Amino acid sequence: MRILTTALALLIAATGFTQTPINSSTFGMMEARWLGPGTMSGRITAIEGVAQDGKTIYIGTAGGGIWKTTNAGASFKPIFDRYCQSIGALAIDPNNPKVIFAGTGESNMRNSVSIGDGLYKSTDGGDNWTKLGLEKTEHIAKVVINPRETNTIYVAAPGPLWHSSKERGLYKSTDGGKTFEKILFISEEAGCADVAVDPEHPDTVYASTWEFRRKPYAFNSGGNGSGMWKSTDGGKTWKELKNGLPAKPFGRIAFAVASSASQNLVAIVESKETGLFISADGGENWKKQSATFNVVSRPFYFSTIVIDPKDPKRVYRPALSFSYSSDGGYSFADASNEGGWVHSDHHALWINPNNTNQIYLGTDGGVYISLDRGATWNFVQSLPVGQFYHASVDDRKPYNIYGGLQDNGSWVGPSAAAGGVSNGLWKPINGGDGFWVQPDPNDIYTAYAESQGGNINRINLVNTKAVNIKPQQAPGEEKLRWNWNTPIVFGAANKKNLYMASQYLYKSVDQGRNWARISPDLTTNDKKKQEQEESGGLSADNTSAENHCTIFTMAESPLDEKLIWAGTDDGNLQYTTDAGKTWTNVAANYKNAGIPAQTWISSIEPSRFDKKVVYATFDNHMYGDHKTWLGYSADMGRTWKLISSPEFTGFAHIIRQDLINKDLLFLGTEMGLFGTLDGGQNWFRMKNKIPEYALVRDIKIHPRTHDLIIATHGRGILIVDDISPIRNLKKETAEKDVVLFPNAPITLTMGQFGDGGFPSTGGWVAGNPPSIPPIKYYLKDRVNSGEVKVEIFDAAGKLVQSIPGSKRKGVNMVMWNLSMKPPKIASGGAKIDFAGFLAPMVLPGEYTIKLKVADSVYTSKVKLVHDPLDKNFTLEDRKKQNKAAMDLYQLHERLATVVDSINDRQKLVKDNLTKVTDSTLKRSMVAYNEELEKLRTELLATKKNSVFADEKKLREDITEVYAGVTGQEAAPSNLQLQRTVTLQSEVKKKEEAAKVVIKKYDEAVKAGLRKEGLIGPKPEKKGF
Amino acid sequence: MKRILLSLLVLASAFTVKAQTADEVIAKHIDAIGGAENWKKVNSMKMEGVLQVQGAEVNVVVTVLHGKGMRQDISVMGMTGYEIVTPTEGWDFMPFQGQTEPEAKTAEELAEAQDNLDAQGELLDYATKGHKVELIGKEDVEGTECFKLKVTKKGGSVSTLFIDPKSFYIVQSKSTQKANGQEVEVTTSYSNYEKLPEGIVMAKSMTLPFGEMNMTKITVNGPVEESFFKK
Repeated sequence: MRILTTALALLIAATGFTQTPINSSTFGMMEARWLGPGTMSGRITAIEGVAQDGKTIYIGTAGGGIWKTTNAGASFKPIFDRYCQSIGALAIDPNNPKVIFAGTGESNMRNSVSIGDGLYKSTDGGDNWTKLGLEKTEHIAKVVINPRETNTIYVAAPGPLWHSSKERGLYKSTDGGKTFEKILFISEEAGCADVAVDPEHPDTVYASTWEFRRKPYAFNSGGNGSGMWKSTDGGKTWKELKNGLPAKPFGRIAFAVASSASQNLVAIVESKETGLFISADGGENWKKQSATFNVVSRPFYFSTIVIDPKDPKRVYRPALSFSYSSDGGYSFADASNEGGWVHSDHHALWINPNNTNQIYLGTDGGVYISLDRGATWNFVQSLPVGQFYHASVDDRKPYNIYGGLQDNGSWVGPSAAAGGVSNGLWKPINGGDGFWVQPDPNDIYTAYAESQGGNINRINLVNTKAVNIKPQQAPGEEKLRWNWNTPIVFGAANKKNLYMASQYLYKSVDQGRNWARISPDLTTNDKKKQEQEESGGLSADNTSAENHCTIFTMAESPLDEKLIWAGTDDGNLQYTTDAGKTWTNVAANYKNAGIPAQTWISSIEPSRFDKKVVYATFDNHMYGDHKTWLGYSADMGRTWKLISSPEFTGFAHIIRQDLINKDLLFLGTEMGLFGTLDGGQNWFRMKNKIPEYALVRDIKIHPRTHDLIIATHGRGILIVDDISPIRNLKKETAEKDVVLFPNAPITLTMGQFGDGGFPSTGGWVAGNPPSIPPIKYYLKDRVNSGEVKVEIFDAAGKLVQSIPGSKRKGVNMVMWNLSMKPPKIASGGAKIDFAGFLAPMVLPGEYTIKLKVADSVYTSKVKLVHDPLDKNFTLEDRKKQNKAAMDLYQLHERLATVVDSINDRQKLVKDNLTKVTDSTLKRSMVAYNEELEKLRTELLATKKNSVFADEKKLREDITEVYAGVTGQEAAPSNLQLQRTVTLQSEVKKKEEAAKVVIKKYDEAVKAGLRKEGLIGPKPEKKGF
Repeated sequence: MKRILLSLLVLASAFTVKAQTADEVIAKHIDAIGGAENWKKVNSMKMEGVLQVQGAEVNVVVTVLHGKGMRQDISVMGMTGYEIVTPTEGWDFMPFQGQTEPEAKTAEELAEAQDNLDAQGELLDYATKGHKVELIGKEDVEGTECFKLKVTKKGGSVSTLFIDPKSFYIVQSKSTQKANGQEVEVTTSYSNYEKLPEGIVMAKSMTLPFGEMNMTKITVNGPVEESFFKK
């Protein structure tokens, strides 16, 4: 027994010993700011609302999780941040709207579509979720619930996109999702794309199956596995519907049942003659309609057709644009742009069944709301679900972020702004799909952006005029092959070098006016992978999205401009050490480390600490392999080491090494952001307001601010401000209970921005980073008992400020506004005097910070400095301002003393007046009180008026000047100083006046009260 | 030896993995904060606290008479406002921006505010009080993996409590107020837990979205008249 306890103790000690791993919690209060923006939102994949209230609505997105509004769209919050962010389908239990199903893995099967990990359920309106299963389906197109028996659920799973699989088809549960049975399965190549239940006869179920496959360089929609199916026994048996439909093979079929007249169906059938078909007899017979272009466009991508829940003739077709029919699909009209442009490419629609004028539309660029049955639309500006591919930064103050988004062009926006970063501050600079955007490091007015297929522009940032600088095919060269997402990169060693790449690498040193090709074809040039014109299947579809055998990523070594790495989408990883004269392919070498061949090289990070060191990520998901492939070589790619971690999820997009600490790395994958502080031995998933499975496409570290900038494909830009505390954190430091971090000198400022004046009127607004560097400390564990406090002392040891400290595990931050405590303000009056919250900034000098954690004290120093470059506010100005502010500060405190002495005496009178018997004394007390009150009303605003009836007395007069002088970063004006002198004499007069009144009455009144036994004897004078 | 260690490891992990029920977590929590017996003796509570905003102070006094009344007095620079809740009435008076008379709470606000009349905390005898509690599992709260309890109050409002598995103190609560057709979520963090002479343990610091409030004095079972809860 004793052995057992010692062993147990040993065990606990052993686990205790390794208890402080550095992980996301170490970041503590260093949380991500969600920069958004909401002005170009992202692809919306599902919208479902609660019929019972018409204002609780759930929005499923392609890469930003699920967002919920409880006010019909005035505001949204994310409710799925701990899970897979790609949403395919949502369903709400019609009888109990707290029950929600979320199928992950969207089914708009474009090249960049993400992957899901199963079906989830919430029973409390999205507060908490449980995974039910179906993990390997990867894509879920629809979830429908039997309205009569809501434990019966159907799940349509097209299934894996990039490989054959049995995990596809139509699944059914009869126990609310606990167990599922596959009730319609065609083949390992064909899944289920759509399902509907006849609301009047819920055993009647319709489903469409779909044969679809993507390869890295082509896709095919269509095959004998596609079909339209009906069951009248809840899915036990199925019959294929054919009468009136075109000849097979079919591609994708989208369809809808009219819930108010359920024999009526509409279907868009992709085939050699894709068309819209209607049935009036439960699908037994179909009739083709005349609808063309928008209604039948791109069936693999636009798979939504909806019938008004009340009106079986009203048919909506959200597709390339928005079409609606009032005659059951015979003729269609297109929505107007009267309420503003409606983003193209539509994937989701919800109609409020109790008010069918109210419609929510999901597009490639966010959510729109219509209140007139889809004729005009209003854009929802508060969904920050943009799908960035890459991000870059400049060095302006505040710096800007540049990036390109899926179907949303290229944009630039500030990292901080007065009042926060709102939608309107983001500026579109290029159209199409956006990918790489690079600000010119040598010219603040120029940036480079592209649309799909290498269409690069040099853009004047002032007027957004563009010059096309795409390299062109030269004599004797093969046709140029540009990736959908073509790299545009500036040199890390020589910032004059601008690179871009087809199968060849190009370099320009004059802003793209002249290009030099600096490589041969770096790809495998496999002709079998270059037949994009044949791609699409039944409907030809060649948009450059499948272009292949191209250079996908490249990087110039930060240590040597002649050392350049390039990676292709077909597995080649090559470098040159002579600026492109000769190239070496290391593809065979990484394969030796177990990394699969012919993957996409998704990113390359040549180390900035050692020329021979390089990191690379490899994305093999297009061959059905979702593993996180991260490689490292310390010998110029000759040998590779595979870096792995049990924490990793999702295929890898980007590896980034810190600029200062070589062992700090960040890895972005399709399912999360990961960090390591020991060069890749131990990894942790980043949380701290970063969605745990965020689709991370790019990572930057700002060289001046040390911010971590994360470009996500579904949550816009996320920024963790100033990661230097983590960068500098040693393992030994993390073992300590408390660490007060040293402070670099702080420049005295009231902040980066003025207060603007008006709050935001809606739309997405991101908060700003702290304008003043916070005081930072580390706590090994959350402090549950005892106080945490930060006190600041000046050089003379006087307490200047005291601030409650946060107590969370990891890095904590306390904001000190570099000011002393505000003055004591004359008490009472009719309204709050703002001066009580306003304090003069302290003067430059050395200050002591004392961090108190329970009974322990930790001390550090901080130097506050004046900005010598500020010509509008010199050190001399600062001293004058401080002197004037302190003079006025003292006036407030003196006035407060006078008012206190009046209040004390008025209280004495009030407390005793009714108890006094002597009538002379009583009269005298009344007179005393009246004179005090008269004086008091001259000292501060006392009238109980509304806020609109401004009353200004001495207190308010002092505040006007005090607030002006204290709140400005400027020397006081001549009249501010003159006014201060006047107010000083006013206060002095009032002090005298108070003395006179008190002298006149006080002794006598107190003597009278004493005589009547109402107050105690006069305190004896001590000492002399 | 290796095998013993291994079996111990299994034992130890079985020990920690063992599923806890909501009631077990609540029982440990109540023990940690002084025990049911001590809490049941609480009839009135007066908490005096200070909210600091860069040195400016807002004084707050919260007085609760168990089941009968709650009054919160807020004073800033000699000006005082209040909120009063009784089983039948609710008032708000916030003169700081020029309000001149107290205003009645709406019926829905009053219904939600009834939770504040419980001086003994919602988890003590929660079933008797008509609340439902569910243990959702564990969730990371500011870096600490906590038990997550969902409390559905008798009146229908929902709050989520996060309990530190080491100390069994509540470290954070999230409550959703739904009055007047709006939905507002308020997150409060609790710290600076201290044992009072009455044997109960209370958080003396509460962090709200706008700042941290620190209790300077807590009086348990001091004399509080019902008449105190009048406007």
